[in-house]
Amino acid sequence: MTTTALSRPLSAEELQRFGAELDALRARHVADLGEKDARYIRRIVAAVRYTEAAGRALLFFGLFAPAWVLGTLLLGLSKILENMELGHNVMHGQYDWMRDPTLDGKTYEWDIVGTSDNWRKTHNFKHHTYTNVRGMDDDIGYGLLRLFPEQKWKPFYLAQPLIAVVFALLFQWGVAIQELRIGRWWHGKMSAAELREKFRPVGRKMRRQLLKDYVLFPLLAGPFWMPVLLGNFVANGLRNLWTYMIIFCGHFTANAEVFPKSVLDNETRGHWYLRQLRGSSNLKGGPLFHILSGNLSHQIEHHLFPDIPARRYAEMAPVVREICARYGQHYNTGSLASQFGQVVWRILRHALPSRPRAAAPLALDGAQPVAA
Amino acid sequence: MPTAATPTALQRLLSPLVAPHVFDFWASRLHPTWSWQRPLARVVERRVEARDAVTLVLQPNRHFAGFVPGQHVHVSADIDGVRVTRSYSLTGLPRPDGRVSITVRRIDQGRMSTHLCRRIGVGDVVELGPAFGDMTLAVRPEGRWLFLAAGSGITPLMGLTRQLAQDGFPAELTLIYWAKTRAELCFAQELRELAARAPRFRLHLVLTRETDLLVNERSGRLDAVLLQDLVPDLASRRVYACGPAGFVATARQLTQGIAQSFSAEAFTPPMPTDEATGTVRVELRASGRTLEIPAGQALLPALEAQGVTPAYGCRMGICNTCACGKLSGTTQDLHSGDSSAEASSALRLCISRACTDLILDL
Repeated sequence: MTTTALSRPLSAEELQRFGAELDALRARHVADLGEKDARYIRRIVAAVRYTEAAGRALLFFGLFAPAWVLGTLLLGLSKILENMELGHNVMHGQYDWMRDPTLDGKTYEWDIVGTSDNWRKTHNFKHHTYTNVRGMDDDIGYGLLRLFPEQKWKPFYLAQPLIAVVFALLFQWGVAIQELRIGRWWHGKMSAAELREKFRPVGRKMRRQLLKDYVLFPLLAGPFWMPVLLGNFVANGLRNLWTYMIIFCGHFTANAEVFPKSVLDNETRGHWYLRQLRGSSNLKGGPLFHILSGNLSHQIEHHLFPDIPARRYAEMAPVVREICARYGQHYNTGSLASQFGQVVWRILRHALPSRPRAAAPLALDGAQPVAA
Repeated sequence: MPTAATPTALQRLLSPLVAPHVFDFWASRLHPTWSWQRPLARVVERRVEARDAVTLVLQPNRHFAGFVPGQHVHVSADIDGVRVTRSYSLTGLPRPDGRVSITVRRIDQGRMSTHLCRRIGVGDVVELGPAFGDMTLAVRPEGRWLFLAAGSGITPLMGLTRQLAQDGFPAELTLIYWAKTRAELCFAQELRELAARAPRFRLHLVLTRETDLLVNERSGRLDAVLLQDLVPDLASRRVYACGPAGFVATARQLTQGIAQSFSAEAFTPPMPTDEATGTVRVELRASGRTLEIPAGQALLPALEAQGVTPAYGCRMGICNTCACGKLSGTTQDLHSGDSSAEASSALRLCISRACTDLILDL
């Protein structure tokens, strides 16, 4: 089944009402932000710290195999929580209303090799403003993969089943160099000097992360440095795989759509909301799963309201779903197995040449004002 | 003016290895005010000073760099999950143990003052900013001084009065202190005892809504007659005044040009305009510029029209790229319509308009 059949195009007036309903939902939650949200995120911070401390402590006894396994899992858990529910969400400014300098969206620095500053640019601005718009959102295949038939096929993509696996294993490194846009240098559109300049802060962050995980903590373990080093390596790897899986499920499932640049012409708020909905997909699961995914399991709600504390998405989701139903819009959700299966299928299918189907319009003709 | 405490040699050595907020998380488990670099202070004593007014004695950590009497500090506390910051005058004298005192009067609907007066207790922690303010005295001031205090305006002047008292009044001082009723007077007993003991200190307590008046008390508002009556030698005095804006304006009018000098500090809650017309003055603290911009327009285009180029991304309130610090002033969120008079680290310029004059960290 194609999306054309799943959602109907909206008229200008419907788009306006659709946007107003989502604005109202947003306003209800903004008005209610307070103590419980603050307590929640502080508990997440505490969970990150305690699991990290416990994991690292156990790794010091890593010669004893069960301690190594548990230590590595706890450290991986800590890194996942810090990356997803804490870092990603704080950097969206979700907790700026608390005015806590340690939870400040503009200054928070997360525990991965990529710099927060680059992330705020590629993710918060480019990806969230131009979600799934070809040529604007670098997250469509990350310049490495062909996931939509609308992307031009090249023989290079034949290797993507393999490339996708390597990318998953090294995901944080991919995120780290994404904003460097090395492809531009490769194609002679950026000088080596410019690239070096852009790399400087990234290199500093990489060095810091490598020193911490692979030098400092192993050294602290003295003669038992080897299991500590391995534990850190595996924990970082687990985090890479998990974040890759969750993030790919957000926008690359079978029914997720991509859009041409022309959708941006004089885009209204209602239209922007609709585009966020049609380009995103959710994952079903329990509360713990949602937390571990940084609530990106509610990718739709996250894209509609990126600066609302993510713990609210679960409560917002049924309302969003009900609004979507009334406006004849498909609400893309499924289990992790089903959604990730669809992602894997995309990776395999579009490694080979493929042709786009006729795109389903977001809005009826004339609903979107044409740029002068 | 004191600035933040300088880091120790050990701190400098370790700083490349330490993430301050991670250090603070663990340090605060061991001791409530241990921190890598934040000046935190623990409430060690709480005294009721007058009706609806309390004095909090705070024990700061080593990151608080000290103060001189007459100065103020920003005090931040978490209230219902939100960090609120207000400035308070330091009413005590510098002490060897580093403790500082603030005296807070509760204001109706005042979030921070209610919190500090009613909810906070011994053992609770607040964060302090560096001390600031120029209404201070030389080490051993000379000459004759007149302090005019109204309501909470007593707080910085109390610090200065205590400084003079400690030095045995090297300068002569007259303090005129206005309050509505006797129950609202702060430090009344201490001031009365001081006036009885120190011949170079004269005290006049002026109560505007009290019927029975005691010794040293009188009624009436600040005007030329009262001033002539209480301070016939005004021309030979230097004047410090502190109180609400209207009081300070009157004090200035009555004494400037007559007295030797006049300095004042006024406190008045901001009065935002609902009208989105007219212009406001925006000070860009980091670039040292001050601009007039239309109040009705979102700040980002308004600043750009004046040639300022803040970083921006989506221009629709999503990406947070244009968020910058707001040091003071009231702004309105154009999406929600809510206005806020709080200082903020993340004011989104693209969807906020100015309701009052602003100071931005740009």
